[in-house]
Amino acid sequence: MIINEAYVRKRKIKGFIALTLSALAAFLGLFWLGFILFDVLRHGIQGLSLELFTEDPAPPGIPGGGLKNAFIGQLEIVFFATIIGVPIGILAGTFIAEYARGTKFAKTVSILSDIMVSVPSIVVGTFIYAILVKPIGNINIGGIIAIGFLSAIIAIIFGGIINFIVNKVLKLNTKLLNLTLSLITVLFGLFVFLTLLTKLVDKIQGFNGWAGATALAFIMIPVVLRTTEDMLSLVPWTLREAAFALGASYFKVIKDIVYRAAATGILTGVILSISRVSGETAPLLFTSFNNSYFTLNMNEPVASLTVTIFNYAMGPYEDWHIKAWAASFVIMVFILFITIIARAIIHWKYKNN
Amino acid sequence: MKRKLPLSDIIFGIVSFSASFLVLTLIFSTILILYNESSLAIHRFGILNFIFTENWDPVNEIFGAAAPLYGTFITTVLSLLFAIPVALGIAIFLTEVSPHFLKSPIGVAIEMLAAIPSIIYGMWGLFTLAPIMAEYVEPALQKTLGQIPLIGKLFEGEPQGIDLFTASVVLSIMIVPFIASIARDSLNLTPNIMKESAYALGATKWDVIKDIMIPYAKLGIYGGIVLALGRALGETMAVAFVLGNNHQITLSLFEAAATITVTLANEFTEADTDIYLSSLFYLALILFVLSFVILAIAKFFLLKAERGYSR
Repeated sequence: MIINEAYVRKRKIKGFIALTLSALAAFLGLFWLGFILFDVLRHGIQGLSLELFTEDPAPPGIPGGGLKNAFIGQLEIVFFATIIGVPIGILAGTFIAEYARGTKFAKTVSILSDIMVSVPSIVVGTFIYAILVKPIGNINIGGIIAIGFLSAIIAIIFGGIINFIVNKVLKLNTKLLNLTLSLITVLFGLFVFLTLLTKLVDKIQGFNGWAGATALAFIMIPVVLRTTEDMLSLVPWTLREAAFALGASYFKVIKDIVYRAAATGILTGVILSISRVSGETAPLLFTSFNNSYFTLNMNEPVASLTVTIFNYAMGPYEDWHIKAWAASFVIMVFILFITIIARAIIHWKYKNN
Repeated sequence: MKRKLPLSDIIFGIVSFSASFLVLTLIFSTILILYNESSLAIHRFGILNFIFTENWDPVNEIFGAAAPLYGTFITTVLSLLFAIPVALGIAIFLTEVSPHFLKSPIGVAIEMLAAIPSIIYGMWGLFTLAPIMAEYVEPALQKTLGQIPLIGKLFEGEPQGIDLFTASVVLSIMIVPFIASIARDSLNLTPNIMKESAYALGATKWDVIKDIMIPYAKLGIYGGIVLALGRALGETMAVAFVLGNNHQITLSLFEAAATITVTLANEFTEADTDIYLSSLFYLALILFVLSFVILAIAKFFLLKAERGYSR
C-alpha cells in the first residue's frame, strides 16, 4: 500500500490550524465576557453607595442623590408583570401539554410562542402603546388584568388557609361545608378585586406603569408557556395513568400529580423569565416611560432602572454616567445571580434523579 | 359508556384554554393594531414608495424607510459575518477540541454572554468600545483595507466610534451565544458510530468535523443562524447607543446611521403629529413582519433538523 506522506502531512497541518482557530474563537468569547464583566464592575463600583438605594435623584447637573425611584419602580413593574405573565403562561402551557396534547392547536400555539419569544421587544412596546397609552380616557385593561390576577392569587391563598383550618384543625369535612367554603373564597376574591380596582386603577392619562407591566408580561408569557409545556411533557405518562386508575379527575391529576412532579422545572422557568424581563428596556420606553420622582401610583409614568440607564448614559453629565454604570452593575449582578441559581437548581434536580 | 366530565375539569379546561387562546390572539392582534395605527402612513406613502424613500423629514411631513431599512440590513449582515465564524469555532471547540473538564465552565460562560441584558452591551459599547474603535481599530483599518481602491470607499470618513461598524461589532458579540449553543447541540447529536467509521478510514479530527459532523448538523446550524438573524434585526438597546440616529444612507461604515429599532427608540415619544407617529408605527409593522417571517423560517429549519435527528 502506498501512502502519500506529503498529503497526510498536509491534512494534519490543515487540521491543526483549524482546531487552533476554534480554540481561539472560544478564547475570544471568554475574552468578551471577561472584558464586559470587568468593565461594568470597574465603573459600577465607583458609583455604588448607600444613597444610590435610599435617595431620589438630585436635579440634573447637581451631583448627589440616588435612584430610589428607579429601583422601586422597577420592582413594581416587574412584580405586576410576573403577576400577569406567570399565571397566563402556566395555564396556557398546561392546556397545550395536557388537555390538548398532540393536537394541531397545541402545535400551533407552541410554534407561535417560540416565535414570540424572539419577536423584537421594541415592537411589543409600540403595540402596548397603541392599546394602553394612546387611548387617553379609556379604561386601563392592563391594570384590570393585573388586579384580577392579584386578587385571584390572594383569594386562592385565603381559600387554602380557611380550608386547612376547617378541615385539618377543626376536623370538619362535609360536602355542604366545602361548598360554602368555596363560595366564601370566591366572594372574598371578588371583594378584594373590587376594592383594589377602585383604589389602584384609573382611566388612562398617558404613559403609565400598568402599560409597562403589561408589555413585560407580553414578553414573559411565551417563555413561561414553553418551559411549562416542556416540563409537563417530561413527567412520565404512567404517573398520570396510575392516578387515573384510582379514579382521579384530570384536574386533580394535574393539580396534585403533574404540577408536583414538574414544580422545580416550572419554578426555574419562571425565575429565568423574571431575569429576562428585568433587563428589558425597549418595551418600557413608550409604556411606563420615566419619572424623576418616586411614585407608587401605577397610573402615572413609573421610573425603571433600565430606562434610567438609557437616559443617564445618553445625558451630558459625568455624574449621570457614573450612576448609569452603578445601576448597570446592580442589574447585571442581579441577573447573573438569578441565572446561576436557576442553573444550580436544574443541575441539582436532574443530576440526583 | 359515556363518562360525565367533572365540574372542576370543565372549569379548569375553559380557563386554561382561554389562556392559550389568548397567546394566539396576542400575535394576531399585534399585527392588526400595528396595521390599524399605521394605516394613515400606508395610505399617504404607499408601500414601495415608503420603502425606497430616503427622506425622513418631520417638519415637511415626508417620511421614508429607506435609511433605517438600509441601516438594519447592514448591521445585521455585518454582525452575522463577524459572529458566524466565531460561533462555529466555539461550537467545534466545545464538542470536539476542549478537554472534558473545560467543557462545562466554558459552555456556562458563553451562555452568560447571552444572559447579559442588551442595555449593558449598549453602555459598554458607548463608553468603552467606541473610544477604542475610534482611536485604534478604525484608523488601522483605514490604513490597511482603506487603501484598496473599491473596498476603500467602505472605510472613508473621520473615525468617530459611533457608527455602523461599532454597532455591528457589539451586535455580533450579542448573537454569538445564540448560534454557538444551537450549533453545539446539533453537533453533539452526530452519532458516534459515524464519527468512528470515519476515524477508522484514517480521517483526521478536522476531516471528521468538516465532512461528517458539520454536514450532519447542517440544518440545526442553519436554524441557529437564521434565529440569530431574527434577533439581530430586532435588537434595540445594544445599537441605540452606538449608532447615532442619522437618517442618511452612507456607503462608509464609519458614519452614524439609523436602524428601524433605533429610530423607534429615539423618536417615538417625540412624534408630535399624527402622520409622524403613524409612520413610526409603519416602521414597527415592517420590523414585526420581517422578523416574524425570518423567525418562522428559523423554526422551520430547527423542526426539520429535529425530525431528521430523531429518525
